[in-house]
Amino acid sequence: MNKLDKQFEEMMKGIKIDSPSSDFTFKVMSRIQAEAAVQRPHLLLDYKPVISKKAWIILIAAFILIMIYITVSGKDSSAAGDSSFWSTVSNSLNPLKSREVSSIWQKGMGVFSSIPPIAYMILLATLALWTLDSYLQQFRHNHSKA
Amino acid sequence: MNKTEDQYYIEAVRKGNVQAFSYLVEKYQKLVYTLALKLLKRPEDAEELAQDTFIKAYQKLDTYEGKSKFSTWLYSITYNAGISELRKRRIDFKSLEDQRFSDQDEMKMHDYYSETKKEDQEKYLNLALGKLPEDDQVLVTLYYYENQSMDDISEITGLTVSNIKVKIHRARKKMYSLLHEMLNEEIYSLL
Repeated sequence: MNKLDKQFEEMMKGIKIDSPSSDFTFKVMSRIQAEAAVQRPHLLLDYKPVISKKAWIILIAAFILIMIYITVSGKDSSAAGDSSFWSTVSNSLNPLKSREVSSIWQKGMGVFSSIPPIAYMILLATLALWTLDSYLQQFRHNHSKA
Repeated sequence: MNKTEDQYYIEAVRKGNVQAFSYLVEKYQKLVYTLALKLLKRPEDAEELAQDTFIKAYQKLDTYEGKSKFSTWLYSITYNAGISELRKRRIDFKSLEDQRFSDQDEMKMHDYYSETKKEDQEKYLNLALGKLPEDDQVLVTLYYYENQSMDDISEITGLTVSNIKVKIHRARKKMYSLLHEMLNEEIYSLL
């Protein structure tokens, strides 16, 4: 910068710099937040399954073990649950079956009736979680292709 | 300009902290708006252009490599958007002719200007600046007010450094000439 430039620069420091409206930052940030909200589905690209493969194996093994335990320990008491839901179903279907089939059927129903309701609830919740997990993975897969 | 500080907030935005962008908006809004106003004249249009500049900057933040200053990158978005808006309106820029104002005249004019009242100085300076072609106003503001280097201005505007030098030189002479006219008019009106 030469002398003339320097003295002109001094002068120019006196110019009025304009200001936008007082809520300028708010307006810009509102638009940016909206923009970011639209971009949010991309976050699913980083989605990792809630339950890992290892955890699934442990859960299935635990479930099978519980089922085996209940089946083995509940053999004797299978006839005891007369008033349970499964017994009612079994009784209502009795006339339709032959003696042998009825016997197997009753045994099966007996096993199911000995399973506590909480086990069904756990199974239902696990299936719901698995369905959601599969859906999200499918969603991520489709988005990564797009 | 604190490049490191800007870089810190840019990184924060890139990592997903959207709110960190408000720091950059706060810091640069005045000059972005001023440049937009110099180009488009109407405050509503300038405000819209300034907002669009920041939105575009946010959207393209991943493409900012940090080779130039963030302000340079931001002003280039403003300048290009403003120029394309003016082209849509089919506004042509008049290039300034060489003024007959000599370097000595400039020195005298500067001394004369320095003796006028502060409030008058600001008034006449803004009037003179407003009479320059839109693109020259931007060049003068960036060079003399914002202290951007010729290379940075070249990056912002896409003009060559030699072209910018000529334009700034002519703009300065033109402004002195305009100030001379305005201050003379005032003296005559007082008499």
